[in-house]
Amino acid sequence: MVQRSSVYLAVLAAACLMIGCTAQDQKVIRIGAAGPMTGDQSKMGIDLRNGVELAVAEWNEKGGVLGKKIEMLAGDDQADPKQAVSIANKFVNQNVTAVVGHWNSNCSINASPYYNTAHIVAISPASTNPRLTQQGFKTIFRVCGTDDQQGGVAADFVMKTLKPKRVAVLHDKTTYGQGLADFFKKAVEGKVQVVFYDGIQTKDPDYKAVLTAINEKKPDAYFFGGVYPEAGRLVRQAKEVGMNIPMITGDGVYDPTFISIAGKAAEGTYVTFGKDPSGLPTTKTFNERYRAKYGEPGPYSIYAYDAANIILASIKDTGSTDGLKLAEHISKGSFPGAFGDISFDKNGDVTRAPYVVWLVKNGKFEEMK
Amino acid sequence: MFIQQLINGLALGSVYALIALGYTMVYGILQLINFAHGEVYMLGAYLGIIVLGILTSLGLTTSHLPLSLFVTVAVSMAFCAAYGAAIERVAYRPLRHAAKLSPLISAVGMSIVLQNVVMLAQGKEYKNLPPLLPSEGIAVGGANASSVQIIILGTSLLMMVGLQLFITRTRLGKAMRATSQDMTMAGLVGININRVISVTFMIGSGLAAVAGVMVTLYYGVVHFFMGYTAGLKAFTAAVLGGIGSIPGAMLGGFALGLIENFGASYISSVYKDAFAFLVLIITLLLRPSGLLGQKAVDKV
Repeated sequence: MVQRSSVYLAVLAAACLMIGCTAQDQKVIRIGAAGPMTGDQSKMGIDLRNGVELAVAEWNEKGGVLGKKIEMLAGDDQADPKQAVSIANKFVNQNVTAVVGHWNSNCSINASPYYNTAHIVAISPASTNPRLTQQGFKTIFRVCGTDDQQGGVAADFVMKTLKPKRVAVLHDKTTYGQGLADFFKKAVEGKVQVVFYDGIQTKDPDYKAVLTAINEKKPDAYFFGGVYPEAGRLVRQAKEVGMNIPMITGDGVYDPTFISIAGKAAEGTYVTFGKDPSGLPTTKTFNERYRAKYGEPGPYSIYAYDAANIILASIKDTGSTDGLKLAEHISKGSFPGAFGDISFDKNGDVTRAPYVVWLVKNGKFEEMK
Repeated sequence: MFIQQLINGLALGSVYALIALGYTMVYGILQLINFAHGEVYMLGAYLGIIVLGILTSLGLTTSHLPLSLFVTVAVSMAFCAAYGAAIERVAYRPLRHAAKLSPLISAVGMSIVLQNVVMLAQGKEYKNLPPLLPSEGIAVGGANASSVQIIILGTSLLMMVGLQLFITRTRLGKAMRATSQDMTMAGLVGININRVISVTFMIGSGLAAVAGVMVTLYYGVVHFFMGYTAGLKAFTAAVLGGIGSIPGAMLGGFALGLIENFGASYISSVYKDAFAFLVLIITLLLRPSGLLGQKAVDKV
């Protein structure tokens, strides 16, 4: 008898749990935040997650959206495309409405078919490889620029300001790094002599061999398509093999960590990144709120914050959590971001052309006028 | 460029050689591949950056640079030697008479534990140190041997000569050689096997610590995962030279450093790692016991 009653109790408890579960599903809207949160590039993923978390917290303070609380789920893709796919599958199973992510281009590209098939809106705050939005997927967007724009800006700057005769091009073999390096190369080819083109291994601590080989070709500047841990080691070792030419590189290097890894060797490096938004009042309030909670915002925190706000505003406007409806609304609308107004073209790219050149000077990034 | 790459290769190779010695010495005695050895090297590098950081904040690295480098190496060596002996006591000694695979699995486990301990204690980020030594050094035939490269080469050669003398000229060194030839017999003639094995781990770990500090000076960045790749490369160097052979590990280390540098500069740096392993495969096909390894005779 005792046994039987405990069985009833267990069944009852299980039933309650199931009811609780479905009830919770209806009560909560889930937003995923995906990026590298462990490993080399962990700072970027954590910056991204904090930006999303801040936006979600602000909406929840105002009572959530559609009368429901919003819950953020973090997914760590370790900057690895295979992990990114498993995170995408996890998000699909967890019934998320939309995702802010991923950070790395190869992660975003590999995860995007899963989001598209499951009708989940995914807005990347940082993946700049053009292919991401050229796959014909309706639910995939980005709030940053693309590498063809970025490579073009870098090439223009190099040809107009540095006026080199010979350049070397180096990349980290990733979708982002090699893609960006190729766009740069394409933009300068025929106008400047490209005397060296090769890739490096990302986990390798020693780049002296390849740098010595570059130095041998006597270029006047070198371009690097890659991310800050490698860029920091490269400029540092470049000085040691006696290379005194500037490095030009992309948004993956725009982070103070680059300067702390490279130290004085970082001085004189040119980096393409978005315009300095700190003059905007909305950016100021974002920075204050972010700092109060997490410390100094990372370069992509504000992009992640804007992406999350676009998603939540669309849910509110359409009154729906259906991915296709949201995607249609996002592609047609214009959204007030902390970083200025955002609207999208037919592919899902932002319509503003956002790149300017920054210079590392006295241990800080300074916008070139 | 040839001379510059030769210098780069020798500096990198001497780091590999120092780590490879630890693998080969342990293998020579226990026939165990100590997969946690790369992590000891990583610990050495972390200690290097911590001690140098403290000395820099006290202003000692500017006023007494050679002395502070010596202190850093000594502290790191002592710490890692203790770590090496502790790893052997905890992870390998209880399994000494177990099946051959058990200590190997234990080694892999130890490696993962150490990586994660350092990750939790020191963080996932790169730790970096500003350059302490000038990048100018000695001009050699149109190339520049930087002061760090000279220090790395000098220290490594000193360590290797010291090790060779220790092994061939001292009582303990003789005991080590005896133990590696036949552990049971050495025990029967009164050699304290446990002590010899502990000392072997301590020396190997101490050398890895030196390599760690040198790399900290050379690249200025440390990371909790750095021991994995370096350990794999050094293990390759040990196998290339003939695992179990001390001169072989030195030769293998230098050979690997040079192959990587010349391959990366004259062919393509995309395949830098591939060159090392390609040469390893070819060497093992032609000489299965490595460059200086002895033909394995099965003990009957």
